[in-house]
Order: sequence, then structure tokens, then C-alpha cells
Amino acid sequence: MKKTTVSMLVLGSLMALGSQMAVAAPDWNKVPKRDINVFHPGVTPTEWVGKKSDHSGTAGLKKGETCVGCHEEKGTLNFNFKRLADKELEPKGAPKTMMYPVGVQAAYDASNLYIRLTFKAPAGGADKSDKENEVKAAVMFPDAKVPQASQVGCWASCHADARTMPGADDKKTKYTKEGSYELMQWKSAKGAKVVDGSVTTERKMDGGALGAKAEGAKAGDTYTVTFTRKNPGEGKTVPFGIAIHGDNSTGRFHHVSLGYTLGLGADGDLKATKQ
Amino acid sequence: MASKIAALWAKLRKPSVKYSLMGLLSAGFFSGVFFWGGFNTAMDATNTMDFCISCHEMNDNVYQEYKKTIHYTNRTGVRAVCSDCHVPKDWTHKMIRKIQASKEVWGKITGVIDTPVKFEAHRLEMAEREWARMKATDSRECRNCHNFESMDTEKQKLRGAKMHKIAQDEKQTCIDCHKGIAHQKPKGMKEDDE
Repeated sequence: MKKTTVSMLVLGSLMALGSQMAVAAPDWNKVPKRDINVFHPGVTPTEWVGKKSDHSGTAGLKKGETCVGCHEEKGTLNFNFKRLADKELEPKGAPKTMMYPVGVQAAYDASNLYIRLTFKAPAGGADKSDKENEVKAAVMFPDAKVPQASQVGCWASCHADARTMPGADDKKTKYTKEGSYELMQWKSAKGAKVVDGSVTTERKMDGGALGAKAEGAKAGDTYTVTFTRKNPGEGKTVPFGIAIHGDNSTGRFHHVSLGYTLGLGADGDLKATKQ
Repeated sequence: MASKIAALWAKLRKPSVKYSLMGLLSAGFFSGVFFWGGFNTAMDATNTMDFCISCHEMNDNVYQEYKKTIHYTNRTGVRAVCSDCHVPKDWTHKMIRKIQASKEVWGKITGVIDTPVKFEAHRLEMAEREWARMKATDSRECRNCHNFESMDTEKQKLRGAKMHKIAQDEKQTCIDCHKGIAHQKPKGMKEDDE
């Protein structure tokens, strides 16, 4: 009898634990999805963005305008894609698909923030240097010290002298002059380690503070990648940016989002659902 | 010599005994019309695109670039030719510009920009001179067609709409932002010009 009680208790606690774990993973059907367009940025690093003769929106940026504030319009991005795909801004060759949507969902509980990306990464890229990973998906979070963090998303880390930029040092990674980014990345290769890294004076692919985990799967031609990271704090609005390396691409040959904000019980371009 | 000039002057001042006043007035009137008309016709002729691109310096360089831009072809079929942007419309400023342009004739004779390499070497200097001219006149030639009062920013792309609002608030002029819209931007633009 006693034994039965103990085993019942053990079973009960296991079930309780199990159900708690089930609660921890968000029911994504109940989390609103927002499409965020990612696009091939060519050679438009932060130096380009900040130079008026290249980018006439520099004056807007100086006044505090965000990239999204000028370029996201009617559910799409109003870039001059012809110019972006032209030899001057893309000397190696532009991908066939310059822009595509990524479905973004976010949810949080007391300990974690969950971000789910759903997308079809199109073929037709000009660079296929990553032989191991067909697809990589990354999310970066700039801290408040990163210049124009809430305006430009990942751009403050993207420089003209970083690897895969024309004529740049092949060992120089993305970096930021001030502040830091947290970085998490999922890779499609079997058994690939999830990146929990950072970007400061250089990019580090490990040693990050996010406690990042990720799971990804391909169903048909659709990828679904779910990230779990530490909850940055209730009531916070967190800037973030997304990058997808599709079609075995590497370095700058990614499709990236502009800088967006994620609200955890606070305002944001995207609001995380509380679990 | 001085006596000859004095004699001619005296002759000119003396009333005519041979021609009637009406004859003289008519001759004066018609030759005035002829010369004035001829002058303006010549002015207009030098304002045409055909005249501008009759020099290979213009035809081979800036004209080829301009042909790819919206000022050459667009959905409404309105074309701005060289002089619409580079020569003032009103008479006084047009005359001043035409006199300045006589230096360009000298440039043509001496072949300052007669090869693509020479043209590129002078592109920045020429562009800076034109930007300065446009800036000094509050982009007068742009404003012959475009102005903020008749601009509906709601109908523009968001990126243009926002920038035009900033430009109006800061009393900026067209050329402050719209450089390199009809020709290639020169290499080595100074930060102030950007």
C-alpha cells in the first residue's frame, strides 16, 4: 500500500512536470503571426547607409527615423530592388528572389522567450559557399549602447571591411563600434550546434548569454525554426533583426530583415504573447 | 582718326535730306524685328537637345546616362531636356548663363573633355559647379516643374514622403538630396555635397 502511494506520488509528480513542460512550449496556433520581409541587401553596410550620396535617407536616420519607418509600406518593402541587384551594389550577382516573407511569432513565460520563424527559403542564390548547411536562420538583439540600435537593427554590425564584402579581409567578422549584440543561429546540417554567441569588437559563435536553444524542421518546402532564449524581462521592448542564409549561402549573401522591436508586455512592432 | 570719328558722329546727328522720317522709322522697325527675332531664334536653337548633343562630349557621356533616367522617359510622357535643367527660363538669367556658356566653346576648341577619360577626370569639378549654381538659386530650374506647394506627399512612396517633410522643415532645396538623378554621380564627392 505504502509502495503504491509512493509510486502514485512519483507518477503524479512526473505527470505534473510533464504537463508543465507542455505549458512551457507555446501553443503556436494561439500566437499571432506577423510577416516580416527579408531581403538581399547587397553591399549596403552601415557606412553606405550613413552616407548621404549613397543613401538619401541618411538625413531621416539622423532625425531618429527608423529603417522600417521609411521602407516598410503596404506589407512590403519599398526598396529600389533594381538598384540593389545592380552590379554596383551586388558585384557578385543578385539572387533570383530579392525579398520573401518570414512568418514571425513570439511568446514568453517567466523564464523564456520563444521565437518561431516560418519561411520558404528560395533557391537561385549567387553564393553557395556553405556546403554543410542548406539553410541557416539567425536572430540578433542589439543592446542599448549599439549606435541607433532601435532604428537600424543589425546594420550597426554590418561593415564594408567585413568578410565577403568586396575587397575585405576574409577573417574580419561583423562587429560593432559600441555596445554589443546577442546572436542566436540555427543551422540545417544534421547535428549542427545551435549558436549562442555575441557581436562586440568581433563576432563570437559561442559563449553567449542567451541560453539559446533551437529546433528546426523542413516540411515540404517550408522551414519552421523555433528558438528559445532567456526572457529579457517583462515590460521590455527588445530590438531585433532576422537573417536567413538560404540556398547554401554564407557571409553577406543572406536575406535580412530591417530592425524591428519585440514587446514583452510592452509596445513593439511585434508583441510576444504571454503564456 | 579723332577727326574722322567726329565727322561720322556729325553725319549721324544731321537730319536726313534724302530719306523720309517714315522710311527711316520703318527700316529701323523691321531691322529691329529681324535682329531681335534672329537673336532669339539663335538663343532657342542653342537651347535644344539636338544642339547640346551635337558635340560628342555631351552625346557620348552625359546624354547616354540621361537616356536611362526618368527625366528622359516616364509614364506621363513629359520630358525635361538639357536646357530645362541647365539653362534658366527667364531672359536676364538666361543671358547671363549663355554668356558664361561661351567658356564652354573655348573648352570645346581646346578639347578639355574630348575623351571619356578626360570627361571622368573633370566630372566632379563640373558637377560641383552645377550643384553650386542650383543651390544658389534654390533649385530654380527644378522648380519650374516641381514645387512643394503642388506636391502631394500622400501619393508618394513613404520614403520620399518622409524625406520631403524633413526637407520642407529644414528649408532644404531639391539639389541638396537629388544629385545624380540625370547623370552618374561623380566619384570622390565631398561630404558637404552628399
